[in-house]
Amino acid sequence: VDVAYINPFIEAASTVFKTVLNCNIERRLLSLKKTHAPTYEVSGVIGLSGKATGAVVLSVSAPVAFKVVETLLGTHVDEINADVVDAVGELTNMIAGGAKTALSHLEMSIGLPSIITGRAHQINFASRVPPICILFDTPWGPMTLDVGLDTSKVQGL
Amino acid sequence: MSQSILIADDSSTMRKIILRSLLSLGVDQVVEASDGAEAVQKFVPGNFRLVLTDWNMPNKTGLEVVQEIRAQDKAVPIVMITTEAERGRVIEAIKAGVSDYLVKPFTAEALKEKLEKHGL
Repeated sequence: VDVAYINPFIEAASTVFKTVLNCNIERRLLSLKKTHAPTYEVSGVIGLSGKATGAVVLSVSAPVAFKVVETLLGTHVDEINADVVDAVGELTNMIAGGAKTALSHLEMSIGLPSIITGRAHQINFASRVPPICILFDTPWGPMTLDVGLDTSKVQGL
Repeated sequence: MSQSILIADDSSTMRKIILRSLLSLGVDQVVEASDGAEAVQKFVPGNFRLVLTDWNMPNKTGLEVVQEIRAQDKAVPIVMITTEAERGRVIEAIKAGVSDYLVKPFTAEALKEKLEKHGL
C-alpha cells in the first residue's frame, strides 16, 4: 500500500482525538503486517469499498477505552460495557470517515462499525491487502490503527 | 408548537453527546432513534421543532430519513450530522432536503452554535 493512502488515516486519527477528546496523539512505529493481530482489548473495524477496498481497525487497551468514554460522556467506567464498545466504534467511524473524505478520488463508501473485544483476538485481512499498522501514543496509553487497502484498480495493477 | 427534538444516530455515544449539548441549552424534550427506520417511525409532522440525523445508519440511511420526513413536513429544520463530508455528498443531502450540515468530528462549541442557529 502506498503511504500516500495511509497518511490520511493518520491525519484523521489526530484530528478526531484533538477535536472530540481535546488531546494530542503521537505516531510512533509504522509497520507492514502479513496478518493482523490487535494487541489491545477493544477493536473497532470498518470496511471500505469503492475504487479501493479494504478495512480499517482501531485497537485500544481497556484503560485507553475507559478514558475515551470518561472524556466523551463524563461518566466513569471500569469495565468493557456498551458505552465503551459504542465509543470505540464511533471513534473508528470518524477516523474512517475523515480519511475517506481526504481520499475522495477513490470514491469510497464506509460500512457500519463492528466492535470486537477480548484479549488476543485476531482480525485477518484479505491476503491482497496486508495491513499497515500504525502505533500511536495517546495521553492514556498506546493504540494501533491498522489500514489494509487494495488500490490496485486505481494503480492499474 | 411542540418543543421536541428528534436525534437519529446509531451511536449511543453520539446521541449522548448531542443530548448533553441540548440540555446545556435548556432543551429536555428529546426523542431518540437508534436507526433510520426508527427515526421515520417516531417522526410525526408538526410535533418536532428540529431533527438531527446521522447519515450512515442501519435499516434506513440518514438520506432516506431526510427524504421521508421532507415528504411529510416541508418546514421542520433538519441538520445532517455525519462524517460524509465530500462535496458531492453534501449536495446530495441538500437536494434531499437538509437545512444544515455538521461534519463529524465536531467540537462542543460547533454543535452548540449549530443548535443556536436553529433557534435553541
